[in-house]
Amino acid sequence: MMSFRTKLLTAMMLVVSALTILGLYLAQRTVAAGAEHDLQANFQAEVSWLHKVQELRHAALLERCGALVAKPRIHAALEDNALDLLYPSAKDELRDLMEGDEPSPEQAARTLHARFYRFLNGTGAVLSPPSPKDIGDLSADTAGQLAFKKLPEVTQIGYLPERTDVAEKTVDEIMAVPIFSTETGDVISALVVGFEPFEFAGQRTGAGMKSGIWLNGILHLPGLSQSAQAYLGGKITNTVTKSDRAQSNFTVSVNGAPHLLFYERLNPDSLFPPAYEICIYPLANSMARLHQLRWQIAGAGALLLLGGFVASNFVAARLSAPVEKLAVDSERNRTQRKRAEAALASTSEELERSTRYSADASHQLKTPVTILRAGLEALLTREDFDPGVYHELSVLLHQIHRLTGVIDDLLLLSLIDAGHLQIESEPINLSQLVEEWLDDLGALPDSLDVKIEKKFPAELYVAGEKRYISLIVQNLLENSRKYNRPEGRICVAGHKDTDEIVLNIGNTGRPITRDAQEHIFERFHRGSGGTAISGHGLGLNLARELARLHGGDLRLVGSDSDWTEFEVRFRVAQQAPSRAAEIV
Amino acid sequence: MDLRGIVSFNAIFALLPILVFAEASIEGRVELPKSHSAPVMAKRYEIVTIGGVLATQPPLAVVYLDGSFPKPKSPSMKQIGQKDLAFLPSLLPVQVGTRVEFPNLDDTYHNIFSYSPAKRFDLGRYRPEERPIPSEVFDVPGLVVLRCDIHEHMRGLLLVLDTPYFITTDEEGRFRLSGLPSGHYTLKAWIDSKTTREKPVDLKRGATLHVDFL
Repeated sequence: MMSFRTKLLTAMMLVVSALTILGLYLAQRTVAAGAEHDLQANFQAEVSWLHKVQELRHAALLERCGALVAKPRIHAALEDNALDLLYPSAKDELRDLMEGDEPSPEQAARTLHARFYRFLNGTGAVLSPPSPKDIGDLSADTAGQLAFKKLPEVTQIGYLPERTDVAEKTVDEIMAVPIFSTETGDVISALVVGFEPFEFAGQRTGAGMKSGIWLNGILHLPGLSQSAQAYLGGKITNTVTKSDRAQSNFTVSVNGAPHLLFYERLNPDSLFPPAYEICIYPLANSMARLHQLRWQIAGAGALLLLGGFVASNFVAARLSAPVEKLAVDSERNRTQRKRAEAALASTSEELERSTRYSADASHQLKTPVTILRAGLEALLTREDFDPGVYHELSVLLHQIHRLTGVIDDLLLLSLIDAGHLQIESEPINLSQLVEEWLDDLGALPDSLDVKIEKKFPAELYVAGEKRYISLIVQNLLENSRKYNRPEGRICVAGHKDTDEIVLNIGNTGRPITRDAQEHIFERFHRGSGGTAISGHGLGLNLARELARLHGGDLRLVGSDSDWTEFEVRFRVAQQAPSRAAEIV
Repeated sequence: MDLRGIVSFNAIFALLPILVFAEASIEGRVELPKSHSAPVMAKRYEIVTIGGVLATQPPLAVVYLDGSFPKPKSPSMKQIGQKDLAFLPSLLPVQVGTRVEFPNLDDTYHNIFSYSPAKRFDLGRYRPEERPIPSEVFDVPGLVVLRCDIHEHMRGLLLVLDTPYFITTDEEGRFRLSGLPSGHYTLKAWIDSKTTREKPVDLKRGATLHVDFL
């Protein structure tokens, strides 16, 4: 069976572990969320920068194209039925858009250099240029992708993949600007201009972000291997076909390294096929940082757990010691209590039996003793006996009196034991009571020449019932005389001690032996030295029981050499009678 | 029937002796479309396009006698200026073979050109002081839409007619053509780029014919 200490330690460790794990989990989550938030913020900053540049470029391109299609010559060619003059006129008008050497992608982004342009006729078909070389060569297939079923009324942005005349796989950004007739207000044509798309890569060194375009299920992202482009293209296709969200992001693995991939629809609401801008952002650094942080947190957690274990152990030891002691004591106490209870039950039973027995016996004895006494007293009244017979009768009568006293004491004790004795308390002048008994003592025929000393005030009021207080005083005084020696002395002293009245009764004579001192208050015990002295061994017991019943006590103050002294305490009467006459 | 058709039709009668060139007159009124702008003190005529139809605003019409007439001996000279970024006049009828000068009366460059089938030309950019004044000979009958390459809103109309007898109506559409030869002709009223009305007329010397295009 597990000890209390082990249980406590286990419980504390469980709590500490749970708290540590919870703390670690929360810390890790906070750190991870913070890192992700930072990453997202960083990424969003990059993307937003990119978008701002793109928006500016789009706005510039739109303005440029809008200005071009408003050119009077182009309108004149379209409106005045001079389509043969359309491309020649446009050549002049759009010369600055097309002229110059093929610029690098970065220059293209800045100079708004167009790669090609075409006009659409009223039905949305491409108007064939007389000399395609001047306005950007396009294969028939590619040119066909510029056409619309119906001319659009607003500018359309689209993307055109794979120019066949260029070895490198590229995507052109195309802008279809409608041309409205100044005469009818209807859309009579559209100018479709193809631009080099804006390249993000390399614009901001250190960011590590790469951008490209997803179009028709194919990803065009320069800087990535063909296989990686194909893989990512497939992933994006799955995502954009499943979700209709214009933008979102997810994490992908590119060449074994984690990347955050962001996509956004480049040409929402366009009649051209949907194209998505794709940005990938390497997560390796962030992941490494996060990984390191996790390790640090785990290390801190281990230390915390270790600390928690040590602290728990210490606390468990401290806490368990008194509890374990208590448990042992408690076990011992339980055993003792059981034993005590058994003893008590047995004693109680015995006591009850003896009480009942005493009471019954007293009652049973009282009647014959009374008859016996009455008989003896009747005999004493006769005058025809020898004087020797009277003496015998007197002795018998004396013994009968003693027997009556014993029976009375036993009856009283049995009442006390049974708890049936009711005290009717009233103020009693103890001094007066003692005086009366001392008078009675003095009147007794006595061979001992005992001197009596009295040291108490005239009035000492105690609370109690007079006959019982009287019985106590009588017992003690009789004993002091009974166990005295010739020419001895009795000292009776009384005083008030706060709320108690103390009465000391001392006498000269052989002291009570130390062994006997322990038993003098037990019933039917008589001093070993006093066997010749009349008594039945109930007096002290009865006196103490009565004193206690009155809220006081009786004890042996001491008994050595020539002096034995008892002390009895009573409660002070709360109210002394106003008149001395009331006190008998 | 377009102007070319009229010319071809009249060619049949080209050999007929022309008896007299004089003294017949036509007067009347052309019902013009409702003006869309409130009349103002200083009237300016401009070319507006409503539903692809070019016309002057406020509306004016050109009334001309269609027939076969001898070519002028010396080419005549007309002017369409550019003033306040508009053509002045905005509508000019001329006889075939007329040289039209386009003086720049503004302080800015103009570049007058036309892609119209009747005449394609491009005068290029020129300043007000440009001398000689850029001009062009219009030798094919038809409507020539004049544009400025610099000011895209500018429009002018040049109606090239194969007849010496033509006149622009006043704002109420009233016209009077005089000094006409007697004989059978077709009187036409050009109202806008899509509307030309015609009526046969029988002209007699000294007589004034009243023709209304209502």
